[in-house]
Amino acid sequence: MLILSRKVNECIVIDGRITVKIVRVEGEIVKLGIEAPLDVPVHRQEIYEEIQRNNREALTEGRPKVPRLPRLNGVPVKDAKKTE
Amino acid sequence: MHCRSVFGAGTGIAMRNETNGRLMKTVATSEPEWLTVRKENIICMPLGLLGFESIKQYVLLTRPGEEPFLWLQMLDDPNHSFLVVSPFHVLPDYSPELSGDDVKFLALTDPEDAMILNVVTLRPEGQASVNLKGPIVVNRHTLRAKQVIPTNAVDYVLRHPISVTA
Repeated sequence: MLILSRKVNECIVIDGRITVKIVRVEGEIVKLGIEAPLDVPVHRQEIYEEIQRNNREALTEGRPKVPRLPRLNGVPVKDAKKTE
Repeated sequence: MHCRSVFGAGTGIAMRNETNGRLMKTVATSEPEWLTVRKENIICMPLGLLGFESIKQYVLLTRPGEEPFLWLQMLDDPNHSFLVVSPFHVLPDYSPELSGDDVKFLALTDPEDAMILNVVTLRPEGQASVNLKGPIVVNRHTLRAKQVIPTNAVDYVLRHPISVTA
């Protein structure tokens, strides 16, 4: 891993098209400003990895039978709990 | 026989409830309706889905009796697909906020341009959950799509349980 020291407001340039700027340092939190082309997705690692895992889990082989939502015709499913 | 165009059945970003439920008719072919791949069903995802970055083309299919669920099937691999659903059927007040970059990437000019689809995970015990943290946003006109992480993703869970019946 390449390790570089930077001061606030200094930048790192990656591949000539991605700029990472140290915006602020507050205790243990470092705020970064990232400029990248639109076709370069930038994500926080944890959330990227959890969505990636969820997609892999959701990948379906063949055509399993699909369950039914209890109510249709635009009537929402109200009893779905918002829990992780 | 007519089928429902999948592009009538999504939600917009800000005006999701008003835009729901519009149906368009398309003419049937000799193939089973739900299997028919048409140009207007092909979704282009230049960045792929997270974890599936190399797969950039999908086809959105409906199977009779499975509404409101849709299948997002890999165009080049018909045996692999993702089950998706319009969030309106799951959480009516769902309103992911897109970053400016995502709006630009998808060339959205109006909230009504966007169709939102959320990935459904089916579990062996007959349970199911919907990913509200990483919705797929489709530009209805260009069919360009991206799995986005909304700026308010912290308000939503990755595995929103939905109560289903077999």
